[in-house]
Amino acid sequence: MSAAAMVHRLRIERFRGLKEFDWRPKAGMNVILGGGDMGKTTILDALALLFSPTNGTTVSETDYWQRDTDQEFVIEATVSLPESAGIENQRRMAYPWHWDDKQAVLPTGADGEEVEVGAPVYVIRVRGTTDLEPSWEVVQPDGVIDHLSVGVRRQIGLVRLSSDERNDRDLRLVYGSALDRLLADQGFRARIGKEMAKVPLDKELGQESRKALTSLSDKMGKNRLPTGLTLGLTSGQGPSIGSLIGLLAQHQGKDIPLSSWGAGTRRMAALEVASTTAGNASPTTIDEIERGLEPYRLRKLIGILESTKGQVFLTTHSAVAIACVGQQGHLWYLDGKGNIGHLPAAKIEVQQRRDPETFLAKLAVVGEGKTEVGLLNFLLGKAFNGNPLDEGVRICDGQGSSAVLDLLETFAEANLECAGLVDDEGEKLGRWKALKATMGDRLLQWPKVATEGFIITAIPDEKLEELVENDEEGLTGYRMRSLAERLGIEAKDWSSIKAALTAKQKSLKALIIEAATGATDGASDKDKKAWKKHAQNWFKRDGGGEELAAKMVSLGAWPKVKDTILPLINAILAAVDRSSITGLPT
Amino acid sequence: MSDDDVARLLRSDAPLVVIEAPAGCGKTYQGAGYAKDCATAEQRGRLLVLAHTHAACGVFRERTRGTGSKVEIKTVASLAVEIASAYHIPLELPHQVEAWARMGGEGGFDAVAQKCANFLTRHRMIACALARRYPVVICDEHQDCTADQHAILMALHASGVKLRVFTDPLQRIYTGKTSKEAKTDAARWEALKAQGAHAVLDFPHRWRTGSLELGKWVLEARAALLNGQPVVIPAKRPVGLNVIVANNQAKARAQLQLDNRKPVDHVMMGGDQILVLTASNEMADAITAFTNRRVGVWEGHTRDALTALVDVLQSKNGDAEAVAGALVAFVGGVGVGFSMSTHGTRLMEEIKDGCCKPTKGKPACIQDMAKAILAEPNHVGASKALKLLKDFIEQKQNGFDTVKIDYRAEFGEAVRLGAFPTPEDGLGEMMRRRAHFRRALPDRVVSTIHKAKGLECRNAMLIPCDSGFGNTYYSRCRLYVALSRASDTLTLVVPSSGGSPLLKIE
Repeated sequence: MSAAAMVHRLRIERFRGLKEFDWRPKAGMNVILGGGDMGKTTILDALALLFSPTNGTTVSETDYWQRDTDQEFVIEATVSLPESAGIENQRRMAYPWHWDDKQAVLPTGADGEEVEVGAPVYVIRVRGTTDLEPSWEVVQPDGVIDHLSVGVRRQIGLVRLSSDERNDRDLRLVYGSALDRLLADQGFRARIGKEMAKVPLDKELGQESRKALTSLSDKMGKNRLPTGLTLGLTSGQGPSIGSLIGLLAQHQGKDIPLSSWGAGTRRMAALEVASTTAGNASPTTIDEIERGLEPYRLRKLIGILESTKGQVFLTTHSAVAIACVGQQGHLWYLDGKGNIGHLPAAKIEVQQRRDPETFLAKLAVVGEGKTEVGLLNFLLGKAFNGNPLDEGVRICDGQGSSAVLDLLETFAEANLECAGLVDDEGEKLGRWKALKATMGDRLLQWPKVATEGFIITAIPDEKLEELVENDEEGLTGYRMRSLAERLGIEAKDWSSIKAALTAKQKSLKALIIEAATGATDGASDKDKKAWKKHAQNWFKRDGGGEELAAKMVSLGAWPKVKDTILPLINAILAAVDRSSITGLPT
Repeated sequence: MSDDDVARLLRSDAPLVVIEAPAGCGKTYQGAGYAKDCATAEQRGRLLVLAHTHAACGVFRERTRGTGSKVEIKTVASLAVEIASAYHIPLELPHQVEAWARMGGEGGFDAVAQKCANFLTRHRMIACALARRYPVVICDEHQDCTADQHAILMALHASGVKLRVFTDPLQRIYTGKTSKEAKTDAARWEALKAQGAHAVLDFPHRWRTGSLELGKWVLEARAALLNGQPVVIPAKRPVGLNVIVANNQAKARAQLQLDNRKPVDHVMMGGDQILVLTASNEMADAITAFTNRRVGVWEGHTRDALTALVDVLQSKNGDAEAVAGALVAFVGGVGVGFSMSTHGTRLMEEIKDGCCKPTKGKPACIQDMAKAILAEPNHVGASKALKLLKDFIEQKQNGFDTVKIDYRAEFGEAVRLGAFPTPEDGLGEMMRRRAHFRRALPDRVVSTIHKAKGLECRNAMLIPCDSGFGNTYYSRCRLYVALSRASDTLTLVVPSSGGSPLLKIE
């Protein structure tokens, strides 16, 4: 038996915007990312409906796929439950299934040795019937459907922090709330009700009011209506007495309702109450975890959640939140078609820490390094005729070929829209090939060279000196020196360099490319490090890519490279529904 | 151990408690009392009481009234059926496991228990889930558990269930009939005793309102039987114990003709209550004939003839000849005077000929029955034909005045069978009703020892105490069950020679 309730599989059919959704969340913290209106909140709401601790939850027409109430919706989960949930103690026995890591299966075979099994699982669901009523059910191994009682759902005790409510349900004594379960006093409400009924309210009435009551009483008597009228607490429709009772805390010497504090504090307090009950093992859903919290409190909260025993489901739009999800947490990406893909930590960790906004873009364009990022900035700025970020297209630095490969592969598998611009380092050919097959034009890997190599090659020879020159940023001298060092000469002027080139029978272009890429071929051991660093004075620096791109256009290289580069640009434009271009606007 | 000690032991934290409970020593009182205490205690889960027969379930239900859903009472067989139904797909059983088991006769329920036991052993999680629902389980009449039923219990116990077992190894008359089976049962009993805490109830409560001397004598008889000794009937008889010497002189089998009839008649007809016990169904029929049906037959809960009838009706639906044949066999099984030779042959002829010959009198009645079967060659027609037969018997129609129905309840149920959509449905429903409606023992009744187990009365007679009670463990058990039914008087009818080796009459 597991210590905490855990959802092994969640299937949603025809609920709100999700037509068919099948997810196997992991233990611990599950963070759901995805663009707006994709359904992240719907997933949390589905869980909340399934584990609803009351029978009074209503279902409306908009909860049905395409508002078609002639077709039922189903939210079904394969769960393991702690003993305290008491699912075996309903009126009819609930029999467990096996979990085979993909779905609930029947335990097999009547004979044989004892089978080692993980936690037994139960299949529970809520159906939205065509009468707009929710029906909670347990699916038995023999196909019989039994009712899933509100008692069991209450015992599971899902803690829900949604983004639109006041989030103080768990701070009040509402039936089934975390506070209610914490205090675990069944008769409390009844006793309070009695006490309140005893309060002599009419003693507080003024003379006039009391006279009015008495004459009303007489008048009622004359009409054969009930008499002896007085005032007291009446129960009735609407809020129960429990919902009016909640936690108070001290503020400047006075007792103030905890629900008066700010949104962030309310949420954190509610989670505290929940974690104290049920030994920290209730499942939790939190929509927009960052709401009302400064980054330092957000980090703290995520840290706390990661150490709870219960399973946690979050949605977020916060880069801070993404960055601090640690080893125990899992990132997921929900795309527009109801597919949810896992972003495994090992493959995205570096990017997650350094540039978490990558995962919040509508379309992440990953460049291998600074040069590529700069080049993309320039090109996409022109293509979008404005800031591509306004349309959710974000250019990210992927921190090297290997990391970019991992990142793009993960994105592709999780159906995260992405594009990539990388060098060909001659490694991992199989994986790049497979990735290209999946991504098509959205991946551009220069054929056999690096970015600098490809572009510089296209620049006409007579323009090379202009390419090198960068007096605005004071880099010309450093560049000349790097060329001289590679030639083994002292003088940094053009004629000496050209002379040395002729002597070595090397082209200027080739030398420039070597210097711009920081190539170390031919360097002595003590020079290797220095030579590598040469690139930082050329285009492998912030702004370098932009410089190279601008010069690519101004020095006439564009016509030669545009057929290679345009497919990528157009693929990016198409992904955000913009029309393609045939040339760069000026 | 005193009753209080036993009560304390039951309520202790010991995971396994085995109470050896001789007949009439307050077992049901202890068990039901403990059940009630369990139910009212604050605890998660429910109490499960497992008995073997629906009658025994009824007793527990009565004594634990008012505990609501905290106590569940079922037979071990139904527990196995429930578990098997939930997992009928991997167990390769049909969805309606109970109906399947019932139609398979004894083999059916045994097969279900076996599959269930193996399944529970293989998949611990199921027993664990059950243990959470039933943290405490009481097993009544454990001696009647088959090996598989015992395995189911032990699987639950292994998953943490607190088990309370009531058993009487000397009342094992439903299983363990061969000496090999008896040996395995004995080994199982020893192992069970060794595993848990063991206590013996020893005060003969049943006899408190009658003859305590008789009760104590029955306990001594028990000790002797357990020890492999014969039961001693002392010269100075304990109050309430009588011996009549009489020999059965009937030439044919299953008939009773006594040379010393008068004292036996006196016991049977003289007092206001008598339970006549005998070893076999045939002898029970013979005894009822012996008394000219003034002592009726106790039908108990089994319905062998009806089950056989339902079997044929279910499988040979539409075959008028098969239906008629089954009907004749059925009536022969529940009464006398109606057989193939007396009425059956004519019935079959009428069916074959299509009831076209004009007739009068007895053949006309038989023709009416045939017409009913031909019109609806299924359980509905059979029931209608049986209803006609019932009327003919009651009206003492010509040719039906010698027909006597001894097993009236069973016959009545067959007549009612026609009201159900299928004969299986009817059998099932009537068994359910029978389980809940516990009939009281009539004042004057003859019963086999098997059907009398669990019953109690004031006066009983065991006839004949002959060599049929041989020196086997099974016979010892049967003898003990017979000896322990009555609280006031017990009459043993023994032959002048060649009587049971288990009795030593001084």
